[in-house]
Amino acid sequence: MNSAALENPVFRGYLFVLAGILAVAGALIALLRFVFRKNVDHAWKAYRGWLIMIPITFAALYFGRETTILFFTLLALAAFTEFARATGLYRDWGMTGVALVGIAAVGVVSFMNEPDSTTKGWYGMLMALPVYVVAAILMIPILRDRAKGQLQPIALALLGFIYMGWMFGHMAFLANARNAYGYLLFLLFAVPLCDVSAFTFGKIFGRHKFRPNVSPNKTWEGAIGALAVSMAFPWLVRFSFPELGTRELLLAGIIVGIGGQLGDLSISVIKRDIGIKDMGALIEGHGGVLDRVDSLIYVAPLFFHMVRYFQGLQ
Amino acid sequence: MDAWRYEPTADFDQAPIQRLKNFPRQPDLLVYGVRTVAHAVIRGLMRVWHRLEISGREHLPADESFILVANHGSHLDAPALLGALPLKKIHRAFPAAASDYFFTNISRLVFSAVVINAMPFDRKENPRQSLDVCRQLLEAPGHILILFPEGTRTLDGELGRFKPGIGFLVAGSNIPVVPCYLDGAHRAWPKGKWIPRPRKLRLTIGAPLRFADKQAVKEEAVAIADSLRDAVLALRQSP
Repeated sequence: MNSAALENPVFRGYLFVLAGILAVAGALIALLRFVFRKNVDHAWKAYRGWLIMIPITFAALYFGRETTILFFTLLALAAFTEFARATGLYRDWGMTGVALVGIAAVGVVSFMNEPDSTTKGWYGMLMALPVYVVAAILMIPILRDRAKGQLQPIALALLGFIYMGWMFGHMAFLANARNAYGYLLFLLFAVPLCDVSAFTFGKIFGRHKFRPNVSPNKTWEGAIGALAVSMAFPWLVRFSFPELGTRELLLAGIIVGIGGQLGDLSISVIKRDIGIKDMGALIEGHGGVLDRVDSLIYVAPLFFHMVRYFQGLQ
Repeated sequence: MDAWRYEPTADFDQAPIQRLKNFPRQPDLLVYGVRTVAHAVIRGLMRVWHRLEISGREHLPADESFILVANHGSHLDAPALLGALPLKKIHRAFPAAASDYFFTNISRLVFSAVVINAMPFDRKENPRQSLDVCRQLLEAPGHILILFPEGTRTLDGELGRFKPGIGFLVAGSNIPVVPCYLDGAHRAWPKGKWIPRPRKLRLTIGAPLRFADKQAVKEEAVAIADSLRDAVLALRQSP
């Protein structure tokens, strides 16, 4: 990627589409508010959140590979911090610190080249990082010579690093792909679309509860609708990745359609168990970073390895 | 096996700016890290740019909570006084800062809360409540409260009257009050100037005073404030 982003038809395509959607959504909210006198506070807050998030994301991608890696690394650090604060792991500064350093390392190896080569991104080290982080985290109680109550912080730090740091960090590494714009923008668009479809189909057709103990408002109808939309979407935006064939497009649809919903539910399991509603309050109208990227975390590495297996990234 | 207990951080559902507005603030790894680095840099700058000289460190109580009172010449005062403490203690040292000035604007709020570790002091509407917060702060061991009892920066370099609040705070308690005099801060950075000028700073720390035998009534509080002012002034005359 380079700053000639605007010359890239994929980047331009998504930019126009999103600008259009934002304009239409803004007009709709204004129409409801001023013509039909409806209460739109909730929608307006969420919309304002998007108005900030979308330009920041496009800016990070626009300025190239380095800013994209930095952007996703910062998001991963923020997501992990929210997880640590919500679970209470944050009180253990040793564990938290090691996991944060590990997440920063995901960014660094994404930024580096393969040793003795000009291939961007040190893939081997990205895959090996969990080994070192697990080793370091297990070392902490030993250095402290303490056993009582240590399993909980160990487990939380491991889950936090592997899931919010390393798996989500695959987004940062995708910036090294030949078709980085295509893959990143597709994921950034398709995953929220899956969320929105589940919500919309659930609202309109929802009769049967999906997983009432994890997320009481989800329905089977919403889940199936979201899967259908997600399966169709890769074909709709085929211009993003002309190199992908039928098999890859099908898999991309399944990964987003099923993985996106599982990612959402996975964070719901954590939230329900703790007994909280949102993971944080950074983005008004959306909750925390983790509430926004929950589905993306699950989808990013699955999509990454699918594409890498069939096409190679570079 | 015991069930796991999740205890979210007390302020986990608040936006970052709100978290910084709270007092007492929850300990935060990131904030502590930034503060430590910032103070290492500030200490270096003060040593080089202002040739800061500190004498009387031996008067600082080692383990118990105490109060530092000083003259207020400029914004350099709080960093200079914090500079007299060991770096690891700065997270438990709280300069009281006017909430109407330092906690109303976002950039000042972030700097005061993150770097200075300021305690918002409501000097206008409800100073009594703020004094209660000070009292609670000092009940925990190892806390340091930094107060400028004049209540505002000096305009002419002279030491103003001390407000009686400090008297109410310490009357009848055994908390040590350490008088300090910072010389040169007003010349280095007068009110209204954008950046500090490279003038010499000299911080003198005096012997602690205690007011356990006093009562929290108006006359005695005023007397305590006056005697603390004298103690600070005395440090000015003996360089």
